[in-house]
Amino acid sequence: MKITWYYIGAWSLLLLTVLASLLLGAGNLPLEEAFSVLAGQGTAEARFVVMELRMPRLAIGLVTGLSLGIAGALLQTLTRNPLAEPGLLGVSAGSSFAVSLAILFGASTATLTTMVAQAGAFAGCGLVIAATRIQGVGQDPVRLVLAGATLTGLLLSLSSLLMLMDQRAADEIRFWITGSIAGKNWDQLLATLPTMLLAGALVIGLVKPLASLALGEKVATGLGHHPGRTRLMVIVAVALLVGGATALAGPLVFVGLVVPFAARALVGADIRKTLWFCLPIGPAIIIGADTLSRLLVSPSEMPLGVITALIGAPVLMVIIRTRRIPTL
Amino acid sequence: MAPSLFRSLIRCIFGSLILASVLASGAALSETRSIETAYGPVSVEGTPERIVTLYEGALDTAIASGIKPVGAVITRGGSSVAEYIQMQAGDISIVGTPGETNIEAVIGLAPDIILAPSYTTEEQFRLLSRIAPTIVPEVTMFQADSWKQEARVYAKALGRAEAGEASIAEVENRISEVARLMDGILAENDRKTALIRWMPQGPLVMAKGLFSASLLTAVGFNVDDAGIVKDGRPHSHPLSQENLGLIDHQWVFLATLNADGKEALSAAQTSPAFQRMQANRNDRVITVNGQLWTSASGPIAALNILADISDALTSAAAQ
Repeated sequence: MKITWYYIGAWSLLLLTVLASLLLGAGNLPLEEAFSVLAGQGTAEARFVVMELRMPRLAIGLVTGLSLGIAGALLQTLTRNPLAEPGLLGVSAGSSFAVSLAILFGASTATLTTMVAQAGAFAGCGLVIAATRIQGVGQDPVRLVLAGATLTGLLLSLSSLLMLMDQRAADEIRFWITGSIAGKNWDQLLATLPTMLLAGALVIGLVKPLASLALGEKVATGLGHHPGRTRLMVIVAVALLVGGATALAGPLVFVGLVVPFAARALVGADIRKTLWFCLPIGPAIIIGADTLSRLLVSPSEMPLGVITALIGAPVLMVIIRTRRIPTL
Repeated sequence: MAPSLFRSLIRCIFGSLILASVLASGAALSETRSIETAYGPVSVEGTPERIVTLYEGALDTAIASGIKPVGAVITRGGSSVAEYIQMQAGDISIVGTPGETNIEAVIGLAPDIILAPSYTTEEQFRLLSRIAPTIVPEVTMFQADSWKQEARVYAKALGRAEAGEASIAEVENRISEVARLMDGILAENDRKTALIRWMPQGPLVMAKGLFSASLLTAVGFNVDDAGIVKDGRPHSHPLSQENLGLIDHQWVFLATLNADGKEALSAAQTSPAFQRMQANRNDRVITVNGQLWTSASGPIAALNILADISDALTSAAAQ
């Protein structure tokens, strides 16, 4: 019964942020006019701002929020580490390094960027999994995050190196690497959608095997699952999700940490329940943060990545400080 | 000691004494000028030959006054000095970026004088002064005549005040020419414009006081940056796409960092918000080189910018 109320609360929160993101922005468009657009009327100017500027951002926020939340939950269950987060572990950094490289070589089409970002995320995931195999690192959640921070630092400095090599590319990379969904349009979303849908299908198929894997490899094998294959599939799904999200919004750290953390705090560690909860919370955080990014420094905008980091960093502190970190 | 050897020794001593006195009187003859700078008077002797410029406006002024510096900093967004001045600068050593000087590279060039930007810090000034007399003009940046004041200080320091004055006069003549051209082509109420760069997230609006924007104003354009470039951040400021109405003027000057302006324009045109701007619909977006328009300053840069403006006006008249 209690959980039902949590669900209702989470979905209402999402609904609230969706409305806010359509009604509020950096422009001087009055609230009534934005409302009248939603009612199917409004001036051409208002229709343009709401339908062509805010609507694509909302849709992209929805997709990136879903992807990062789910990817975080998957990665945490797989590594049995509540701190395993695509941004902290270097998966996003791998993805953004790959995109920086592509920009340096002159790539600009949205399709190519998506594929490159996903390939980079896959490589990043591979390195994370390799790190968990190192004696001592895999068992200690904080040490895994340290390994991830090292990897992230390395990849970021390599990206800086690319920026030094070509000033024109540097300009594009710098704006992209802080994380933002401003000025994105439907084309970019459509370009990532097929792989996102594929990842969604993978996740649905993975829920049961992953839940049984959480009980231990022997149990999972006994229940007829193949742990090795499950692991590989999870990595593929995470790479597709994080790569797609990074191609859309740039590397956003902490979202994959905060969302599953909130979900687990409310409904417990069972991946089958956690995932359901990640569905509304992930998009609500991104969309809420994006709306804030438009309001804080109007008439310009703040990078989305700054806001998510401001929200996420304290959560990381809380997780590390307030309790002994449980291994999942 | 043999007498002949003694004589030659005497001759040698006398010779060097005479040579030394000639050299000393020569140095006394060449004027010692005192240049007023932001950090007090700096004295410069004679006509400096080996010049290092740490500011694009200083490089431009030196070349305009007829001397090629031996070292300079790169242009913003480039890997060498700005394209417009590469030919005249020739084979020049790079000693840093507008924000960061490679001190060792400066020492390596053994300069007679260093021309530094007006925003040089006192600490940096002291360091540079140990290498050579360093000129930091005391000029408020981003005013309409900042570049002229800077040019006068640099030219005087180089001992070429007249040549500097002549190049400023040439620019002023050219400004009146273009202003007259403007009067014949565009009505007073058809001159509103903004200078921007286009990022995927939206426009970067350049300050009204920027060098090139002040030239646009000088020839009669009504430059309006919507007041969004705040004090203390005088170069440029990003604007949300939702607020594009603030700079939806009759003309838009679009500065690009790629050499190909057309490519940058079509990239901007993929954005629905850009498509809606009246300048775009009326084919009045003028693409200009970002190195020249958003980084450079000085008399030669002014002439090049004025040529761009004149071209834009002529092709507008032809339409």
